[in-house]
Amino acid sequence: MNCPLASHNPEMLVDYAAGQLNSESRCAFEQHMADCASCRATAAEQAAVWSALDAWEAPALPADFDRRLYGRIDQGARLSWWERLIRPLRPMPLRAVLPLTATAGLLLMAGLLLEHQGPVTPAASSGRVVRAEQVERTLDDLDLLGQFNSASSSESKHSHAL
Amino acid sequence: MEPGVNTDMGVAAVALDYDAELMLRVKEGDGISFGVLLEKHRAPVIHFIYRLVQEQAIAEELSQEVFLRVYRSRSSYEPTAKFKTWLFRIATHLALNWLRDEKHERGQERLDDISPDLPVRQVSDRRPSVEQELVYEVKLREVRRAVAALPEKQRAAVLMHKYEEMEYTQIAKVLGCSESAVKSLLFRAYETLRARLAHMGTI
Repeated sequence: MNCPLASHNPEMLVDYAAGQLNSESRCAFEQHMADCASCRATAAEQAAVWSALDAWEAPALPADFDRRLYGRIDQGARLSWWERLIRPLRPMPLRAVLPLTATAGLLLMAGLLLEHQGPVTPAASSGRVVRAEQVERTLDDLDLLGQFNSASSSESKHSHAL
Repeated sequence: MEPGVNTDMGVAAVALDYDAELMLRVKEGDGISFGVLLEKHRAPVIHFIYRLVQEQAIAEELSQEVFLRVYRSRSSYEPTAKFKTWLFRIATHLALNWLRDEKHERGQERLDDISPDLPVRQVSDRRPSVEQELVYEVKLREVRRAVAALPEKQRAAVLMHKYEEMEYTQIAKVLGCSESAVKSLLFRAYETLRARLAHMGTI
C-alpha cells in the first residue's frame, strides 16, 4: 500500500488509532508500518494520545439533575403569558441587554417629544389649505384691484381730457 | 461510509432512528418517551459539555438547558437527522456560545485556570500510592489543558469522535461543515495533541 503520510491520506492514521479500520485495511497498514519508520512512530504516538484521553474520566452525574429539569419544565408550563413573552430575554448577557434597553429608551424619548409637539390633525392641515386659498383669493383681489385702478385712472384721464 | 472503515456503527444508526421515533412520540405528548430519551442521553450530553467547557457546574446548567430546549421544541420537531445529531447540535451550540461569551468577558483563554474538579478514580483491587495519585493528577491536568488549547471546532470534533464514537457524517452535521472538513479538523487536532501529549505514554 502507499504510505498514508506521503499520499495525502494522513486521516487513515486517525482511523487506525480509533480502531475504525476494517481487518483488511488494518493488516495492509500494519504490513506497511513494518517498513515505514515514519508511520510507525506516528501511530505509536497517536496510540499514546488515545491512551491519555482514555484516562480522562468525566465526573459523576449530579443526583438531582432530573428533578431540577422536571421542576423547570413544570415551572415553564405554569408561566403566565407575560412571563413567556419576556423569557427569551432573561438569559441574555448584560452587554446584549444594554443596547436593547438604550434603543427602547431612545424610541420612548422620541415618542414623548413628538407627543409634546402635538400631532398633525386633519383640522390643522385643512386650516393650512384654507390659509393658502385665502392668500390666493387675496392675490386675485389685488390683481382685480390693480386692473380696477388702472381702468379708473384711464377713465379720469379721459374725463379730464373731455 | 468510508472504504476500509468498519461498518459496526450501522447498529448505532438503527438505535438512533429509534430515538427519533421516541421524540416523535414526545411530540404527540408522551412524557414517558421523553424520560427514556433523557435516561439514555443524559450522561453523554453532560460529559461532552463538561469536557468542552471544563467546569462541572456550568456543564450541568448547560445540559439542563439542552434538555429544556429539546422538550420545548417538541411540537416543531421533524426527524430530518438522527436524534443524537440534533441533540449534540443543540449541546455544541450552547457550549460554544458559552465559551465565546466567557472568553470575551475574560479577554483571554483560561488555560491556566482549569477548575480542579477531578473525577474520582475508580480503583478496583489495589489502592495507588499518594505519589501515583499525584502523577496521575498532574498528567490528567496536562491532558485537560491540551484539549482546552485546541480551537473550539477541533475540540468539539475530537470529543464527539473520541468519547461519543460519532461518525464523520454526524460530526459534520453537528458542526455544519463537510465530511472532508471534519476529517481534516480531526487530523489536525490529533496532531496537535500528539505534539503535546505523546511524551506522556500511558497514564
